[in-house]
Amino acid sequence: MKLHHYIFRRILIMIPMLVGLSVFVFVLIRLAPGDPTVFYLPQGETVDPAVRERVRVRLGLDQPIHIQYFRWLTSAVQGDFGFAYGYGEPVLSLIGGRLQPTIRLQSAAIILALVIAIPIGIISAIRQYSLLDNIMTVFAFFGLSMPNFWFALLMIFLFAVGMGVLPAVGDGSGKEPVEQLKYLVMPTLALSLYYIAFYARFMRSSMLEVIRKEYITTAQAKGLENSTVIFRHALKNAILPMITIVGLSLPRLVGGTIIIESVFAWPGIGRLGYDAVLRRDYPTIMALTMLTATFVMWVNVLVDSAYSLVDPRIRY
Amino acid sequence: MTEHVGSTDQVVTEYVSETTRIWRNFRRHRLAFGGMVTIIILCMLAIAGPYIVPYDPTEQNVRNSLASPGPEHWFGTDQWGRDNFSRVIVGSRVSLSVGVVAVAILISIGVLIGAIAGYNRRLDGPLMRFVDMMMSIPQFFLLLTIVALFGPSLFMTMLVIGLTGWMGTARLVRGEFLSLREKEFVEAAHCLGMSGRRIITHHLLPNTLAVIIVQASIYMSQAILIESSLSYLGLGVQPPTPSWGVMLSQGKDYMRHGWWGTVYPGLGIFITVMAFNFLGDGLRDALDPRLRGR
Repeated sequence: MKLHHYIFRRILIMIPMLVGLSVFVFVLIRLAPGDPTVFYLPQGETVDPAVRERVRVRLGLDQPIHIQYFRWLTSAVQGDFGFAYGYGEPVLSLIGGRLQPTIRLQSAAIILALVIAIPIGIISAIRQYSLLDNIMTVFAFFGLSMPNFWFALLMIFLFAVGMGVLPAVGDGSGKEPVEQLKYLVMPTLALSLYYIAFYARFMRSSMLEVIRKEYITTAQAKGLENSTVIFRHALKNAILPMITIVGLSLPRLVGGTIIIESVFAWPGIGRLGYDAVLRRDYPTIMALTMLTATFVMWVNVLVDSAYSLVDPRIRY
Repeated sequence: MTEHVGSTDQVVTEYVSETTRIWRNFRRHRLAFGGMVTIIILCMLAIAGPYIVPYDPTEQNVRNSLASPGPEHWFGTDQWGRDNFSRVIVGSRVSLSVGVVAVAILISIGVLIGAIAGYNRRLDGPLMRFVDMMMSIPQFFLLLTIVALFGPSLFMTMLVIGLTGWMGTARLVRGEFLSLREKEFVEAAHCLGMSGRRIITHHLLPNTLAVIIVQASIYMSQAILIESSLSYLGLGVQPPTPSWGVMLSQGKDYMRHGWWGTVYPGLGIFITVMAFNFLGDGLRDALDPRLRGR
C-alpha cells in the first residue's frame, strides 16, 4: 500500500470516530443532573419560571436529546458551534481569542523538554550506570513523580512571593516582549518538568537499544571515531521513536495545561475549558472536546506518516 | 515451578524457583525495594491514622490559626487552626483509597477489553477504534467535565478516574495476547480442544500477569496525581475531608503567611507517587527479563 493511500484511509476513519465521540460526549453532558440556565440568568435573584423556560426554549434545551444532537451536528459540520453560555459570544471566536497564549505555553514547554531531554538521554545511554547516569535516573523519577501544580506553587513561593523576581499571574500580554518572557518562565517549567523526565528516559532506552545493534559494532570495528558512531549512526536511528512519543504525549499535555493555566491565571484554552465545565457551558465543552480530539487525531496521522517518510523500513 | 537449564554443555548448579528468582531481582533493585517499604509504611499510617494522630484533623481552633511549625504542631496549623500534621497523615487515606479503587476499575476494564480484542479477530478492529477514539480526548478534560456535571465526591473521583483511564492497559494486554496467540503452547491447547475461555484464563492471562502488575503500580501513581489535581481544582474530594489536593489549594491562599501549608501536603503526594513509580520500575525489571538492563 502506498503512503498516500494509508494517509487517506486514516483520514477517512477519523470521520466515524469523531461522530462517535460527539454522540458520546453530547449524551454524557446532557445526562448530567442540573440546569445550565442557572448560570445563564442573573445569579442570586429569583428568576421568573416563565423567563427561565423561555431561555430553555431559546437554547433548544426543551427539545428531545436526539433533536438537540442533530441540530448541533448540522451546524457544527458547517463550522458553527453555537454561542457560549454566559458570554454571548460565538464559541469559536471565544476559543480563537484564547488559542494564542496556550500555543505559546505548550510549544515553549515541549521545545524546552526536548532540548533538555535529548542530550540527557544520549549521555545517560552511552555512559550507562555511570554516576551521571544514576543522577539522571533519580532526576527522571523526581520529574515523573512531581505533581506539576505543586511544583508551580513552590516556584511561586520562591520566585514570586519570596524573591519577587518573576510574575505569577497572567501572561503579561500588552507588555514588552522581554517582560512577556518573564511571565512564560514559571508556567513553562511547571508544564515541562514531567516531559523532560519522560522524554529523557525514553531517549535513553531508545539509544541503549540502538547501541547494541550489529551495525554499531561494525561501525566501531572499522575504526570510526566514537563521536561519528554516536551521532552519524546511532543517534539517527534512536531519535526516530521520539517523534511518536511526542505525538502520543499531546492529550496529557492538554490536561496539564488546564491545571497550570489555572494556577498562573494564564488566559488560555485550559482556563476556558475549566470555566466552561464549571458553568455547564455545553456549547463550549462540546467545541473544545471536538477540536482537541480532531487536533490529536491529525497529529497522530501526521506523526505516523512522517515516521514512514524518514524511516524507509516502515511500509504501510 | 523450577527453572531448568536445558542445554547439555551447561552445568546446572542450582535449581531456583521462579518466585525466588523474581524476589532476588527485586531485592537487588534498591530504589524499588525502598518504594515498597515506603508504601507499606504509608498503608499502615493510612489505616492507623485517625487513631494515632495528636489532634482531630477536622477540629477547628481559630485562635491558633496559621501557627508556625513547632513542638505543639509539627507541621503548623492552617487558617482554621487545624493541625497540619494530623491532616497530612489522615490525608493519605484519600489518596491511597482513590488509587486502589480507581486502579482496580481501570485494570479490570482494560484487561477485559484488551483480552477480547486480542483473542477475537472480528472484535479486534471495532474495539481498537473505540480505544483510539477514547484516547483522542484528553483524559483530564473528560474527567473534569464528568465530575463537574455529575457533582464531585470521593466516590465520583474513584469511579471517573477508573472509567477514563483503562485504554492504555487495553492496548497493552491486546498486544501481549496477539503475540502469545501465535505461540506453540496456545496452539497445543487449541489442538487439545480447549475452549476459548479456558485458553484465555489458563494460558494467556497468566502469561500477561507480569505486565498487568507493572501497569497497576504505574497507574497507582497516575491515579493519585489525578486525584490531587482534581481536589486542588475543587472538583475532587470535598472539604472538610482532609485530602492533600484540597490542603494545597487552601495552603496556596495563605502562602504569604507561611510556607508550611504549601510544602507538607505536596510532599505527601510527591513521596507516595514516587514510591509507586519506583515499585513499578523494580517490578518491571524483576518480572520481565526482556527489559533487564534498560
